[in-house]
Order: sequence, then C-alpha cells, then structure tokens
Amino acid sequence: MHPSPLLKVAGLYKNFGGVQAIHDLSFDLARGELLGLIGPNGSGKTTAVNLITGFVKPTEGNIIYNGQNISGLPPYKIIRMGIARTFQMVKPFYQLPAYKNMIIPLYSPRVKKRVGGKYGDRDAVALDLLEEVGFERDAFVAYKSASVLPQGYLKRLELAKAIALQPDLIILDELFSGLSLAEVASIVPIIEKLRLEGKTIIMIEHRLKELFRIADRIIVLNYGEKIAEGFSNEVMESDAVKKAYLGAEA
Amino acid sequence: MFIGTVLYAVVNSVILALLAIGFNLTFGISGVANFAYGALYIMSAYLSWMLLNLLELPFLLAAVISILITTLCGALMYRFVLLRVRGQALSEVIATFGIGLAILELFRYLGFVGFEYTLPVLIDHSFVIFGAYIDMQRILIVIVGAVLVIFLWLFTHHTSIGLAFRGIAQDERTALSLGINSDRIATLSVSFGAGLAAIAATIIIPLGSISPSEGYDVLIKALAVCIIGGLGSTGGVIVASFVIGFAERFTDSYISSHWTMIVSLAAILIVLTIKPSGLFGKQKELEERI
Repeated sequence: MHPSPLLKVAGLYKNFGGVQAIHDLSFDLARGELLGLIGPNGSGKTTAVNLITGFVKPTEGNIIYNGQNISGLPPYKIIRMGIARTFQMVKPFYQLPAYKNMIIPLYSPRVKKRVGGKYGDRDAVALDLLEEVGFERDAFVAYKSASVLPQGYLKRLELAKAIALQPDLIILDELFSGLSLAEVASIVPIIEKLRLEGKTIIMIEHRLKELFRIADRIIVLNYGEKIAEGFSNEVMESDAVKKAYLGAEA
Repeated sequence: MFIGTVLYAVVNSVILALLAIGFNLTFGISGVANFAYGALYIMSAYLSWMLLNLLELPFLLAAVISILITTLCGALMYRFVLLRVRGQALSEVIATFGIGLAILELFRYLGFVGFEYTLPVLIDHSFVIFGAYIDMQRILIVIVGAVLVIFLWLFTHHTSIGLAFRGIAQDERTALSLGINSDRIATLSVSFGAGLAAIAATIIIPLGSISPSEGYDVLIKALAVCIIGGLGSTGGVIVASFVIGFAERFTDSYISSHWTMIVSLAAILIVLTIKPSGLFGKQKELEERI
C-alpha cells in the first residue's frame, strides 16, 4: 500500500475571463519527492503554483495538502500549514539589511508555533540560515542592505526566507533564472541538502539541464494542460513535448 | 521675540506631526488614504466631551474610553467598508471621505457647534522660558509627540507585529508569502491610525474648541504634511511638520498672520516642484512606472 501523498491536485481549472490558464490539472506529490514543473512561457506553471499557494483561487477542482482541502484558502493560511514558496521576480524588503529580511519569516506564526513562542536570538538564526544558502559570513554580506545585493544573493535570500518558515513543501519558482552557471552549481547542493532533510520540493524551471539532474519526476504543461509526466529523459522524448517546445510536427 | 517664536514654532510643528502621524501610519502600511481621518479626530473629541459633560466621568477616563472607541471604529470601518473596495484607490478615498462627511455633518446637524464644546487642559499652569510665556498644555503636546514617535519607532522595529507592519508596507505579496495575514494587518493599521487621531485630539483640542469644520482642517493639514514629507515616511512627516510649523510661526511673527497660509502653500509648492514624491517619498521603481 502506498503512503498518502503530501499534495494531491485533482481536476484543477482556472479561467481568467475567457482565457483558460489551467485546464484539468491533476497530479500527486509524494513526501520527499522533487517534482520539476516545466513548459514553454505562458504554459500555466506559475498559475499552478499561485493556485496551490492561494494567491489565485481555482475556478474548479481540489488541492489536498496533508489530507486537508486547501483550495481557495488565503495564502497566509496555506503558508502557515507548511507550504513555502519563492517568487520568480524577487521582491525583498529593500530598506532592510539581508539578515533583517529574515526576521519576518522567523517571527511568523508557523515558526512561533513550532518553537513554542521561545524565539531566542533570531538575528543569530537569521545569519546561520543565510550562511547555509551561501552568504559568506566573513565578507559580512548578510549585513548589507538588500537594495545593494546582486541578483545571485537576492535569489539565495529568497530561498533562505522560504527555508526559515520550516516548511514541509517548498515551491521554487524559477530559482535559477538570471543566475550564472557557477551560481546555479553552488545552489544545487543546497537543494539536494533540503531533500536529504526530507523536504518535498516543486521546482519550476527553464534551466532544464540542471533540473533534470536533481528532479525525481517531471510534469510538462502547455496551454494550461498536462501534456507529459515521467522521468526526465522520457518526457523529453514525448512527441507532444517536442511539439510544445520546438513547434515541430509530432 | 525670537526665542518665543522658536518655542511656539516647535509646538506648532509637533501639533502638525501629531495630526499627520496616524494618517501616515495607515497609508504607509495598507496604502489606504483615510479621508475620514479628520472626522475621527473630531468624533473622538465630541465623545470625550459627552462622556465628560453628560456622564460626568473624569476627563482622563473619558479620554481613554473615547480613544478606544475611535480605534474600534477604525477597525470596523475597514472590515465593513474598506475591505470591499480594497486596492481601488479612488473608491477608498470616496468611501472614507463619505464616512467622514457623514460623521461631521451629523454633529453639525445635531447642533454641536459653539465655543462651549471644548476639552479641559490636563494641567493648568504656565512657565516663562527665556522670557517667553508657554503653558503646560503645549509642553505636554511636545512630550506626547516625542513619546508617540519613540513608541512607534520601537513598535515597528522591535515587535513581531510591528515587523509585520513594515513587511506589508514594503510588499504585500512577499508579506503574504511569509504567512502574514494582510487583511488583519490592514485592519490594525486603519484602527491604529484612528487611535492616533484620537490621542492627538485629546491633547490638542484643549487649545481651541471642537467643531465640525475643524475636522476638514485637520484632514487638509495631515494631507499637506504627508505629501511634503512623502506619503508613508515617518521621518518625512516629522521633517515636513517642522518645515511647515516653522514657516507658519515665523511668518506670523515677522511678516503678518495674513501671509501664514500663503507661505505654507508656497512651501508645499516648492517641495513638490523640486521633489514630486515628497522629501522622503520613494520614487516608484521604473518597472512600476512603465
């Protein structure tokens, strides 16, 4: 008998006016799994994530997380239940130093509940978490204002904020976009470490080579519909995927 | 005369800062321009007056009750009216202005007009400082103003709800993704803003009287200070209050009181011509402007 999935998406639809952004999307996500969500631009990947995290309400369908139906709940409730996400376009609190950006998730109701209201030295925890995602402690990068940090560090900060929420499921929306090969290579081990810690991860990515190295399973979306699902090499062999990506006749 | 003018300019500046700080807090956090702000200020003063004169409660108790009721009214206004038009700036302005208009004109209709409608000073005493007379109420205003600013700073920098306030002030989407309930924070922001208006009324009204037209003046002054300072910036509010406060009192003393309004408006014009987003206002990022 299979253990119950951490996340179950069933018959999900989302229409924006006359545009069908998500059409009958269904999939299961097992605990500890790393799922890659790919597809051409405008295929509905970010909308799917927005639906799961409550930023957009579904037109129809269910999202079951940890046995509870979370479809239509507001984002803050979903985040408190243990789903954290990053955004493709990062928007840190620019006026604050990087480590102070961490204070808000570290004081969040979810963390408060998990530590029993005892916070201790949150600044020290923030600095530790930032070091984990690659903020060199010796260079004092964590003390710099978020407004002067390069994109690579902002993406790391975004990841650190998600980790600080102590989630069970982390959704990474194009974490690698805008980063150099070296930067991506240095972030991949952080994601692998999260998996070893038992986190379940969904990654939306355009950097397929890097994604395929770490993902257990890939789902391909096109025009809001799931057109393929399986191991990395399998899905890329699918005619529907080739057509979606290359425009070639199947 | 110079020392006296400076003293009164400081008091005038703190009064302006007290009038604007609540409006600014609400706008800075939830982006709601609460045009009922002046009406809430006057409403709290009338409430104190009624509790004091009709129920004969002690003034401090009456003031505390009216501050609490006004704070609650702010929260109710958000939950039952503003939540429905959230994010539509023009609708928010119309809704809040409508509520303010209704409150002020109701008091006018009920006949609450006249010099007898005022609140007592807390301590009836005056001093001579460097040859200038100044009463205890004005000194109290400066003390309350300073305490409120320090309290707000500590609140927004060292409490988790204050950090949540700042988080949502900077970006609602990010705040939501970190588990912050944006509607709850926005409710609190409107309610705290209303509470600050009530505190300002309790301490400032004893210098004059309560009247519905004062409600419109308070709104205009709060708007002027916030626009010069840069909407949403606490530091900006303080600096702008001192710019207008000093300009007004020095014009009064050295030119003529007829020129006071013209100098204030000129100060607004000059600042906005040089820096359209206000002294400390953040220019919108390029991506948001195109």
